[in-house]
Amino acid sequence: MARMKFLCDSERCIECNACVTACKNEHEVPWGINRRRVVTINDGTPGERSISMACMHCTDAPCAAVCPVDCFYTTADGVVLHSKDLCIGCGYCFYACPFGAPQYPQLGNFGSRGKMDKCTFCSGGPEDDVTPAEYEKYGANRLAEGKLPLCAEMCSTKALLAGDGDIIASIYKERVVTRGYGTGAWGWSVAYKDASAA
Amino acid sequence: MSVKNGQADDTAGGSGLERRDFLRALGSTAAGAAVAAPLLAAGPAQAKETGAERTKARYRETEHVKAYYRTNRY
Repeated sequence: MARMKFLCDSERCIECNACVTACKNEHEVPWGINRRRVVTINDGTPGERSISMACMHCTDAPCAAVCPVDCFYTTADGVVLHSKDLCIGCGYCFYACPFGAPQYPQLGNFGSRGKMDKCTFCSGGPEDDVTPAEYEKYGANRLAEGKLPLCAEMCSTKALLAGDGDIIASIYKERVVTRGYGTGAWGWSVAYKDASAA
Repeated sequence: MSVKNGQADDTAGGSGLERRDFLRALGSTAAGAAVAAPLLAAGPAQAKETGAERTKARYRETEHVKAYYRTNRY
């Protein structure tokens, strides 16, 4: 069974933010929320690196572990999804997530939070596949359409890889063999600690 | 509406009653619309996925996906 993973090749990311824009447009993400964002480390100094970050769909997802209403579930593809009907917007998952993936829309002027929103690996949510109800709450379901997440598909430098973890790891390995080892597959040691379960 | 000897003249055109009827009708229409609006806005009911249907694998290695893997090897 294929296990879906993201891999950002920081040697190639040029911080163009096209992945952020594409995601926001594809899923019509509400104001104030970015499901994906580009983080730059050592900005302006030698060795500067940019990494495109979103939900990494962890094997033993900390967000799911702390959720008081148990709104998270993991699909057979290894994608961590959640039900906005169950979410109470408590914010625990935001504190638990090592990648800062969960985002909340601001509902009022006094800090009240709405339902949590995060990357779905372009695979919708618990509503029926490819329906207006699913699109409204979770965005497009590209996986059900036989495609991969748009952020990775349209990355101009092919820095952001998404898909079957074994295949993208082999692609990355080929690159490393060709050019030498750089900063590594950023985030993998945190997200996919248990290699046997992944 | 004309007033004669401190009393309203109902026979003189009855424009006052018409105006009240109009406001009453307007009020009841607005209330009806307020009740109906959420029903219309909700749209058709959507079935939700349950159990195994919800967690089933969606990923398929289609030609589209294969082309993605191929181009990423460059």
